[in-house]
Amino acid sequence: MTQTPSPADESQLAVQLSEVWKTFPGVVANAGVELNVRPRTIHALLGENGAGKSTLMNILAGVYRPDRGELKLHGRAHQFRNPADALSAGIGMVHQEFRLIPSFSVAENVVLGSAPSVIKTRQIEAEVAAMADKFGLRVDPAQPLWQLSMGERQKVEILKVLWRDAQVLILDEPTTVLTPDEVDELGEILRRMADDGRCIIFISHKLHEVSGICDEATVLRQGKTVASSLDMATTDSTELARLMVGASPTTSDRPAAATPGVPLLELKELSARGDRGIDAFSDVSFQINSGEIVGIAGVAGNGQRELADVIAGLRPATRGSLIMNDADMTTASPRQRFLSGLGYIPEDRLGVGLAPRLSITDNAILRVYRQQRRGPFIVAEKALSYCKGIIERFGVRSGDIDGPIAALSGGNLQRLLVGRELDSQPSVVVAAQPTRGLDVQGVKAIQDLLLERRNAGAAVLMISEDLDELLTLTDRLLVMEGGIIRGEFDPRTASRQEVGLAMLADATAVSRP
Amino acid sequence: MKHPRLHLREAPLPGGQPLAFAIGLTVALFVGTLLLLGAGHDPVRIYSRMFEASLGGPDAWAVTLNRAVPLGLAGLAVAVAGSMGLWNIGAEGQIMAGAIAASWVARIGGDWPGLVLIVAMLLAALGGGGLLAVGPAIARARLGVNEIITTLMLNEVAIRLAQWLIHGPWKDPGAHNFPLAPMLPDQAHLPTLFSRAHCGLLIAAAVIGISSLAVRYTAWGYELRIAGSSEATARYSGISLSRKILTVLVISGGIAGLAGGVELTGTADRLTESISNGFGFAGIIVAALALMRPSGVAVVALLFGAVQIGGQSIQTLGVSSSVSTILQAFVLFGAIGAGVFSRYRILLDGEAPVVPEEVNQ
Repeated sequence: MTQTPSPADESQLAVQLSEVWKTFPGVVANAGVELNVRPRTIHALLGENGAGKSTLMNILAGVYRPDRGELKLHGRAHQFRNPADALSAGIGMVHQEFRLIPSFSVAENVVLGSAPSVIKTRQIEAEVAAMADKFGLRVDPAQPLWQLSMGERQKVEILKVLWRDAQVLILDEPTTVLTPDEVDELGEILRRMADDGRCIIFISHKLHEVSGICDEATVLRQGKTVASSLDMATTDSTELARLMVGASPTTSDRPAAATPGVPLLELKELSARGDRGIDAFSDVSFQINSGEIVGIAGVAGNGQRELADVIAGLRPATRGSLIMNDADMTTASPRQRFLSGLGYIPEDRLGVGLAPRLSITDNAILRVYRQQRRGPFIVAEKALSYCKGIIERFGVRSGDIDGPIAALSGGNLQRLLVGRELDSQPSVVVAAQPTRGLDVQGVKAIQDLLLERRNAGAAVLMISEDLDELLTLTDRLLVMEGGIIRGEFDPRTASRQEVGLAMLADATAVSRP
Repeated sequence: MKHPRLHLREAPLPGGQPLAFAIGLTVALFVGTLLLLGAGHDPVRIYSRMFEASLGGPDAWAVTLNRAVPLGLAGLAVAVAGSMGLWNIGAEGQIMAGAIAASWVARIGGDWPGLVLIVAMLLAALGGGGLLAVGPAIARARLGVNEIITTLMLNEVAIRLAQWLIHGPWKDPGAHNFPLAPMLPDQAHLPTLFSRAHCGLLIAAAVIGISSLAVRYTAWGYELRIAGSSEATARYSGISLSRKILTVLVISGGIAGLAGGVELTGTADRLTESISNGFGFAGIIVAALALMRPSGVAVVALLFGAVQIGGQSIQTLGVSSSVSTILQAFVLFGAIGAGVFSRYRILLDGEAPVVPEEVNQ
């Protein structure tokens, strides 16, 4: 611990958590954590996936009860039995998944659950508008929620918490749904709230965002506080990264470029519709050569998911053509594409890539069971040994391999899926959000597998929302926005700002009806 | 204040379903006791009579097994479709269609040797049931029309068809103007195994056995289970969903049709309007209790057979046969209720427990 407040200024602290323990079956999420948040500050809670951040905040917000530990607000001890208790003590949490009703207006969503018995729409809208104005939350209270972008919906969630007069706002990874521009705007909004006398706890694992927005930071690692209330003005991000990860991250982690060869995947003016029948992307053209990883950057919902589906044959193209290994695959079935060398790691792992109710073995053999037949039967020994092979080669930590796959952790699910797709040594790999939600080790493992495939001469398309990942991993970077490729960048020389700007091209037009 | 909550287990408890079933049965017996007491009967006497009539000796077992055969086949029909996440609510009509088709063969093959006639009748029953499912199958596979509605509506069609045949073209001229179909030829009856238990038992056991193996161990069954778990995953791996839906629904209809054929050649003398006797609907309950697993259907069907036969037997004691229907319903309620415990944890301290992955998303 670098700084511990003396008892004298304990009552000065808006939030004080000390010696908090919380265990779940098989895992100690918090092991004596402490957190001290001063009023009128934005406090970053940093840590890798699995460090215990969300658990701690769920304790503060009354969702979980700690096994042990003390919670004080302005020096007074509290014990919350449920979120309502925490809220009445002035603690409000904006969760990662929004809890909003699409058919309601912004104002209706804001007052939902705490509305007076007679709702005077005009009056409530005016009150919500006044509150929104005060903090610079630009939303139209009368607009129905479904018309709002993710960034605007987040503002509604923040308004909801403010409406309930929360003095301590917890934001759980608030920037994951935002464009870089919106992140800046959020920073300003949070600053106004802090100046207004509230305090904000900002959960994140993205250092560069935190250093721009927050005043102080507490770092968790493996359920323990490794640094408490660091002053952001005097702490550099290398130091923070070292605290979070435990060791200095390697600086030269850019993989050596392979020599690109012949084009293996070629898209020519490809277009397709989304689920609502509106064009999801149009006139997308690019090619990926052997030994190349091409990245597609973009904020979620700009046609990337549909593009991956079209390449995999799960969604029909409306125009254009798709060439894979010199063969026209525009109308080929998913199976034909697989046979001609496509490996596809879909964004929706459990539900598209894997069948959730079936066993690990059943899921492992999805691509090869046709070769394991004897007569009408699948030879159980072949299936089992194949599954064990995947588990060993790709480091899947599985319990019972006859148990349902849904019992695996996220990282192991993805290892199994990626392992299965790469095991057939595909010449073209499409990976959609392959590292999303994984811990550091998992991310590294999946990235290494994709690089290995590239070095073996495959053409790899990597779709990701993590710009840093794309900038370090890919050989070329395309930016997709509004269903259009907005630009191509060389990740060795491109700056985050440049790419970010392309991701945002005309973003406001997209979110409006 | 405590807030009890349900939380999904990562995997159902092993042996949870048989236990749930036992709990269901207990609940049913308890509710039945209250009902009987309320109606002024002696529950002990009634229950022992039910047991006597259904499981007390070879003759009782024979009747129960004969009842379990159509229940098991109907349950299997629903379960096979259910393995793929499809609901065949039309087993009732498919049973009728199977019985009609088998009757038709019996009409034209009245002088065929017994074995040939019976085999032909059963194959016709299979085809008849399958044929009735073709429409819903195509509609579902090609156009995505909900199979629950279409199969359900076709029940009425099959039953009206049987009524028309019995009242019209197939009316037995020798029945003194009663609306009755003619008796089956003597050689069209299934041979008996013991007491009155007929060979349909073997047919049902074989069909259930083959279906269980097919779903569990064949590539065909694997594709079925993949599609049943997630249609998107099936499409992703190149399994043709529409062909799968088509074949599965037609096979499901065929199995239900076979139940009609077996019922006709095994226990009935002639085609009647009530030959399907609610087996198709009871089959849905049987399949649900077997968790849509073909292998579980046999056990559940046997139990339901016993409850139904026992329920019929107590009518002579002045108890309405509805008691049996109520008992069946409560077995289902109890088992489904208890099934919740095998799949969910009950938490009394009002806090959602979290599997490690959810802790730090």
